[in-house]
Amino acid sequence: MITDIFHILQDNWLLLLIGQYPNGPLGGLAITLLLSVAGLALAFPVSVLLALGRISPFAMLRASAAAIIYTVRGVPLVMFIFWVYFFVPLLIGTTISGFTTMLVTVVLYEAAYLAEVIRAGIEGISRGQTEASRALGMGYGQTMFKIVLPQALYNMLPAMVSQFVSTIKETSLGYVISVNELTFAANQINSTLLTKPFPVFIMLALIYFVLCSMLTQLARWLERRISKRRTGKPAISTTAVNAVTAAA
Amino acid sequence: MAINQIKPDQDARHMISFDQVNKWYGSYHALADVSANVAKGEVVVICGPSGSGKSTLIRTVNRLEQIQKGRIIFDGQDIYAPKLDLNHFRARVGFVFQSFNLFPHLSVLDNIVIAPVNVRHSRRSDARIQALELLERVGLAAKADAYPGQLSGGQQQRVAIARALAMDPPAMLFDEPTSALDPEMVGEVLQVMKQLARDGMTMICVTHEMGFAREVADRVWFMDQGRLVETGTPEDFFLRPQSQRAQKFLSDLRSH
Repeated sequence: MITDIFHILQDNWLLLLIGQYPNGPLGGLAITLLLSVAGLALAFPVSVLLALGRISPFAMLRASAAAIIYTVRGVPLVMFIFWVYFFVPLLIGTTISGFTTMLVTVVLYEAAYLAEVIRAGIEGISRGQTEASRALGMGYGQTMFKIVLPQALYNMLPAMVSQFVSTIKETSLGYVISVNELTFAANQINSTLLTKPFPVFIMLALIYFVLCSMLTQLARWLERRISKRRTGKPAISTTAVNAVTAAA
Repeated sequence: MAINQIKPDQDARHMISFDQVNKWYGSYHALADVSANVAKGEVVVICGPSGSGKSTLIRTVNRLEQIQKGRIIFDGQDIYAPKLDLNHFRARVGFVFQSFNLFPHLSVLDNIVIAPVNVRHSRRSDARIQALELLERVGLAAKADAYPGQLSGGQQQRVAIARALAMDPPAMLFDEPTSALDPEMVGEVLQVMKQLARDGMTMICVTHEMGFAREVADRVWFMDQGRLVETGTPEDFFLRPQSQRAQKFLSDLRSH
């Protein structure tokens, strides 16, 4: 089995990495990462606006932001992909590529989830911070963008990295509308080999796993760094604590 | 008509005037008919049992709390005037919080510089020079590049005072500035406040530091249940309290 995986990787690593590029469209892991990074990067400003809408003093804004967030969060991603796939071309009067469809889907979908993360981050900042800023004469915008959001986003970095990990996994659903991302490439390999589905899909799982667990590690590292900076003292790592308890 | 509306409390000698100030939280009457004046350069200490409305009263001065009835005049300006630029007005009222509320993501220097640069649109280099002078004044010039999390409570509160002073406010309000501090750090903060008072700053301090009140205050206001029950010089208030409620408050204070 392991030799099978090794051989499949050896023969197809370029396809898995960049698809048929440069002879065909870019695909594979490159598209998976491009979709995730671009998706999250574009979703970010949208999510900040949605989060601000959710906690806005204006009931109309609050209600609309909540409606958008709950709608998006209330439907399965696959269904959302189909919506975008069928409705966006109707809306703009021209067909769009699978990649664009998936990107639009990821942006809207992630924005709704990220908005709740950012809202939680904003609500986690003590009222005193806002009061101090307003008492100095800074307005709502200055207070939000210079005092509250920098702290909220910094605190929420680990959660945002987790959201990025989810995004990477969710792009695999692009397969259903033939976006040639990583899962699509693996399936192409499977169709060519015909007799090796297990090694192919275990390999696929391993690639996702390695990528995502690396990012999860990054999130944990960030979390430790943040708690360290917040207290102003070096945080005691769990390994150090274990070493101390073991010695005692 | 305009002339009729000018009341004696708009006297130019007054920095802050409360005129029949009322505030409710739902049905709870948090401030009831508070009327009093703070003269320019005067130091007023507000004391009273917890829940008596002391903090609420000073928080109404820069409109962190809204009032429902009455008027507040700050430096000749009705703070509920419709044409009032709220941010511009607030920048002129120095406010120091019990819990410091420094911005933890900014260095000490940036905490002080942020308001002058963003509200007054001072040049950053000018604001920096002023901030370093203020830090010198509160004895923390060496901590300019530190982050609030690296400072003790007393140091944080001194930075918070410097931050408020950076907008050159004509008056400073202190909301229990030493209540969150370990006892050994109270002195350093009071020292800075005493220096401010000596320099002629108009101040209202909500505090339980009766020593500070005796030494620095020009007047003591005693509040109970949202009412301003008694005002007087520190000597009169501490030695000859008029109201029963103040007598009881002081005897409770002494028995501890």
